[in-house]
Amino acid sequence: MSVLPYAVAAWLFGIGLYGIATSRNFIHLVGCLGVCQSATYVLLLGLGYRWGGIAPIFYDHPPGTPAVDPVMQALVLTDIVVGATLTALLLVLTIQAHKRGGSLDPEKLRPMRAGGTSGRGQGASRVSDREQSTS
Amino acid sequence: MTAFPAALLPLPVAIPLVICAAMLATAHLLPARLPDILATLSALTVAVLCGVIAVRAADGPLVYWFGGWEPRDGLHLGIGFSVDEASGWVAAFIGLLYALTFVFAWGFFDRTHGHFHILMLLFLAAMVGFCFTRDMFNLFVWFEVMSVAAFALTAYHLAESGLAGAINFTVVNSLAGFLMLGGIGLIYAQTGTLDFEGIAAAVARGGRDPVVAGAFCLVAGALMIKGAIVPFQFWLADAHAVAPSPVSVIFSGAMVSLGLFGLAKVSAVVFGASDQVQHALPALLIGLGCFTALLGGWMALLQRHLKRMLAFSTISHAGIMLTGLGALSVDGTGGMLVYVVGHGLVKGALFMVAGILLATQASIDEIALRGLGRGIWPAGIAMALAGLLLCGLPLGLLDQGTRLIQGALAQQGHGIALVAGVIGAALTGAAVLRAAGRIFLGLGPDPGDEAGAPSEDEREKANRPLWLMLGPCCALLALDMGVPAGLIEHALPRAASAFMHRPVVDAVSEGPGWLPWASVAAALAGAGYGLLRNHLPALLVLPVRATQSAPTRALEALHSGLIGDYAAWLAVGVAMIAAVLAMA
Repeated sequence: MSVLPYAVAAWLFGIGLYGIATSRNFIHLVGCLGVCQSATYVLLLGLGYRWGGIAPIFYDHPPGTPAVDPVMQALVLTDIVVGATLTALLLVLTIQAHKRGGSLDPEKLRPMRAGGTSGRGQGASRVSDREQSTS
Repeated sequence: MTAFPAALLPLPVAIPLVICAAMLATAHLLPARLPDILATLSALTVAVLCGVIAVRAADGPLVYWFGGWEPRDGLHLGIGFSVDEASGWVAAFIGLLYALTFVFAWGFFDRTHGHFHILMLLFLAAMVGFCFTRDMFNLFVWFEVMSVAAFALTAYHLAESGLAGAINFTVVNSLAGFLMLGGIGLIYAQTGTLDFEGIAAAVARGGRDPVVAGAFCLVAGALMIKGAIVPFQFWLADAHAVAPSPVSVIFSGAMVSLGLFGLAKVSAVVFGASDQVQHALPALLIGLGCFTALLGGWMALLQRHLKRMLAFSTISHAGIMLTGLGALSVDGTGGMLVYVVGHGLVKGALFMVAGILLATQASIDEIALRGLGRGIWPAGIAMALAGLLLCGLPLGLLDQGTRLIQGALAQQGHGIALVAGVIGAALTGAAVLRAAGRIFLGLGPDPGDEAGAPSEDEREKANRPLWLMLGPCCALLALDMGVPAGLIEHALPRAASAFMHRPVVDAVSEGPGWLPWASVAAALAGAGYGLLRNHLPALLVLPVRATQSAPTRALEALHSGLIGDYAAWLAVGVAMIAAVLAMA
């Protein structure tokens, strides 16, 4: 078994993680998550591959013909379903966040933090407004 | 073994799934309160069924093979459920927590068409399946179903802060899912099976193997992300703080500790025969656990957003559970299992109190709520009691779990972990007691202009009677204190040994009796310092304040709320686990 699939899987996961870590746009981030997930596809298919094996469908092959591992293919199928669910859910959340926050930048949509539209900055500005009005 | 109990095993998973499918199909036809009733009843049924299964499993684990695909000649083709006593009781506890949460959430959402209940029942089914399964890939499936239901529930309100928290939660936990799947692929490639027992046997035959260690690294990393262990803990505070209160009850009470429950099962059963993994585990789990307990406690003390504070306290307690796991003994794991249940009950009650404050006082900010809780003083009593239980008041399940963990740690000479656990519990207790004192007694300095809340205005539906919300909260606390200690003492050695697949031990040791009191005293002192700082002599106040500032600001900056930072920390954490495994 060649090391190439492992190397590709590690590279894909690493580059996807790098993309997530540096992303400034939620849609780009969802794409990077998809890249991370393709690492698992490559890894699983690579692990299940048999040189010279056929697809694990024995309709027109005699039983016992060498085939690639069907369990791994089932795992990949499940993984694809999970991936579709996650992407759909994240895109819905992104659309809603854009509707409410008017931005797709993670820096501008921080939960309860300084600088975010919903963050402590708002609380602080509220306080300073009040100070101005009282003075 | 009769056929009756084994055929019962899939029911606790199937019932909520069937009910939620039926509710989804008829969502627009159902009368207003029917989803509440149906959901509560099915959660109760799950609890009772799991209890029956747990009682039946006392003599040995019950096994059920789906479709009758039993293993032949050591070859595992089918997918099975295998329930030992401890898993059964944990599942029963989860069912009960859901039932009480459904009562708490009665009429919480106006126009839901039952979607909240559908998601919650899906969540429940996934958790029970996660407890029962004996198949690695099935474990992953339940893990993902649990995650997806949780993501959707976090963002249920579609408010702005909720969305940002939900996105962070989704991304980090999806990465956890990918890691887990990668790990499962590696272990399957190496052992040729997905069944827990089959993998364990193959791992025992194989000897030292980097692929097995790599698989454990990925699976353990994923479960620790779910369990909010430093440095994977960042998502938790964002998600728990913004989720609707009933959802936070489940998150903190069951979901986070289930991650660690899964880690306990996987490391004891599946990788129990790998010397490399078992050598690496004590250093890894106890090191991370201590760090998590201290960091979570310290961060909890710094919060003024009540739910965020409780979220950090959950992180701290997850760290304590991890140290119990790190003892790698029947005592430690048994203590951790009792702790999971006790902590779930107490933390669930605390999140319900936070929900009551959100509903009746329309705020979740400790400073802004100062003195406003006087009108609902029964909630204050519940909160103070829960705070005392949290920091170690020697009463009830949580305390029993704490003492068992402490006993296991003391026996193996992990003094640092013992101290870290006591300090972590004291810090979280201090934070809760300080908030209770400020909100319900009006103690502490008058905030004046500081009263602006750090988050957007939050409010949860107010027109529910107080008793309806307080009832389940008190039931949880009563359950924590009411379970007879003798019963657990009697059953635990057997249940914990069966859980870990080890020979039965005679008795489990408990830690020194004064330790919980030390923790309670420290918590009371901490809360008192927080509230009465202005009345203390300056000599006492200044040095403490000076040490508070610099590292604290650094910690606050670390919890940036930026998903990019979290992903970077995730990579660091996985690399750390890999390094410890490589050195073992």
